[in-house]
Amino acid sequence: MNKALYLKELKRNRKNALIWGSIVLGFTLMILSIYPSFAEMGEQMALLMSKMPQEMARAFGIDDETWSSIIGFYATYYGIYITLLMGIFTSSTGATILGKEERDGTAEFLLTRPISRASIVDSKYAALLTLLLLIYVIQTLCAVGGILAFGTAVDWDVFTAMHVHGIVLVGFFTAISVLLASFVSPKVNFMGPVVGLIFGSYFLDAISKATDAVKFLGYISPYHYLQLQAQGGVLEVNWAASFGLLVIAVVALWVARARYLQRDITG
Amino acid sequence: MPAIQIKGLTKFYGTQRGIEDVHLSVERGEVFGFIGPNGAGKSTAIRTLLGLLKPDAGSAEIQGHDVATDGVSARAKVGYLPSEIAYYPEMSSRELLEYHASLYGVLHPERRMVELAEYFELDLDRPIDDLSYGNKKKCAIIQAVLHEPEVLILDEPTGGLDPLMQHRFFDMLEALNAKGTTVFFSSHVLSEIQRMCSRAAIIRDGKITAVEDIATLLAKQMKKVRLVVHDGAAIVLPEGAQNHHASGVKHSFDYVGSTSALVSWLDKQALLDVTLSEPDLESIFMNYYQR
Repeated sequence: MNKALYLKELKRNRKNALIWGSIVLGFTLMILSIYPSFAEMGEQMALLMSKMPQEMARAFGIDDETWSSIIGFYATYYGIYITLLMGIFTSSTGATILGKEERDGTAEFLLTRPISRASIVDSKYAALLTLLLLIYVIQTLCAVGGILAFGTAVDWDVFTAMHVHGIVLVGFFTAISVLLASFVSPKVNFMGPVVGLIFGSYFLDAISKATDAVKFLGYISPYHYLQLQAQGGVLEVNWAASFGLLVIAVVALWVARARYLQRDITG
Repeated sequence: MPAIQIKGLTKFYGTQRGIEDVHLSVERGEVFGFIGPNGAGKSTAIRTLLGLLKPDAGSAEIQGHDVATDGVSARAKVGYLPSEIAYYPEMSSRELLEYHASLYGVLHPERRMVELAEYFELDLDRPIDDLSYGNKKKCAIIQAVLHEPEVLILDEPTGGLDPLMQHRFFDMLEALNAKGTTVFFSSHVLSEIQRMCSRAAIIRDGKITAVEDIATLLAKQMKKVRLVVHDGAAIVLPEGAQNHHASGVKHSFDYVGSTSALVSWLDKQALLDVTLSEPDLESIFMNYYQR
């Protein structure tokens, strides 16, 4: 790994990280800060939601827990918004982290310096991992602070499982985006496919929960294996699935790396 | 050991020819020209030499380091000035040059950086995005020489530079060469090659068609012949004449062949006037190119 390139890559992505980080943190704080108002209307909300089609409630994980505990409330939004936002940021960054130099024409500058391509890829991967961990850790700390401030009787085991699953999912989507981007021209804007991949996976799982007729759709979504909401107040870390998805992520990154080491740099 | 050694280097883009079976040897301390028209394969050869493109066949070494298996060591010896300048727009020239120096492990580039910036009259603190093409080129020149490389690879180096800066650039190259720096000078501006280089290779359709001393190239038997003949006099061109143009009594053509044969032929014409000009490198290049 090359330290100068690693720092350069972090600096290059700082503006994006700041924008997306602010959105994620703002959203986290907003969700937690409005919980007390919803909690006060707990019975009314439960009544209101009971009028909602049960399929839709199941799809988006809205149940009694949503209104009766801050973790249930937070979990509903964590799955829909926060992991999606974090995933879109890190995946779109990952999708362009190797190809951006070619797209911008700076690859010729970088690759004619005395650094190996492997070192370039490793430095960029390290910067990507740093950004991912940074946004994840700050969001988690912010969530912990918000929950302590606005909630009571918190089940931290559920919170931990939710956040372990969250980072594995975000890491998985990021790695898959890096891999997919290695098969297309660096000039292609990859934001659309990244958003489609993450939203598509989320909604496949949501639809599969709505009715048994399409339950099979859930099996092709990583969200199916790493649930973000408690069922009956219980959510445990699925270590086997987490490990499996991380292995797939590492293989995806390795394949993308191998492709980059062999390709002609034309930009 | 040559500074640059290329053996049978071949690169195809799919079925499209890039370069084919290129052999070159550039001696240490030499200023070597690389001439060819657009699309002949000059940039492909350089990009393969620098490891940006993976060759289909052949090998290349820079200062004894194989560019495929020991590319990092090879590139550590090189300063490269590309023909197209694309840098990080958010950086200033100073930041770019510091970044460049850090990638070469140069810890304190400030003094030399400022010296070079003053020499080329470049404002180091302006964002690169705000610089004119000429100033970006100056920044590119400074990055090519900042780390004091043993080999300079220059691809169309003077594009965008005004005549004064071109003059300074050539002076700097001569000074670096006097200290032992090898220069590989790719250009289609033949007067630059003529001025700077001791030898040159001509590339055409991806293949090297000639490697000659500049003096030998200049001494090739091509001459420009201009004649004025008596009104009504017909001429039959000598063997070796080409590119004949006639306008009334005035004729001009390029001549390749023996000078004494030309003089004998001239002696038999009804001449009013004759002018023989020395060949310029452009004509020599075209002579090779048309073979």
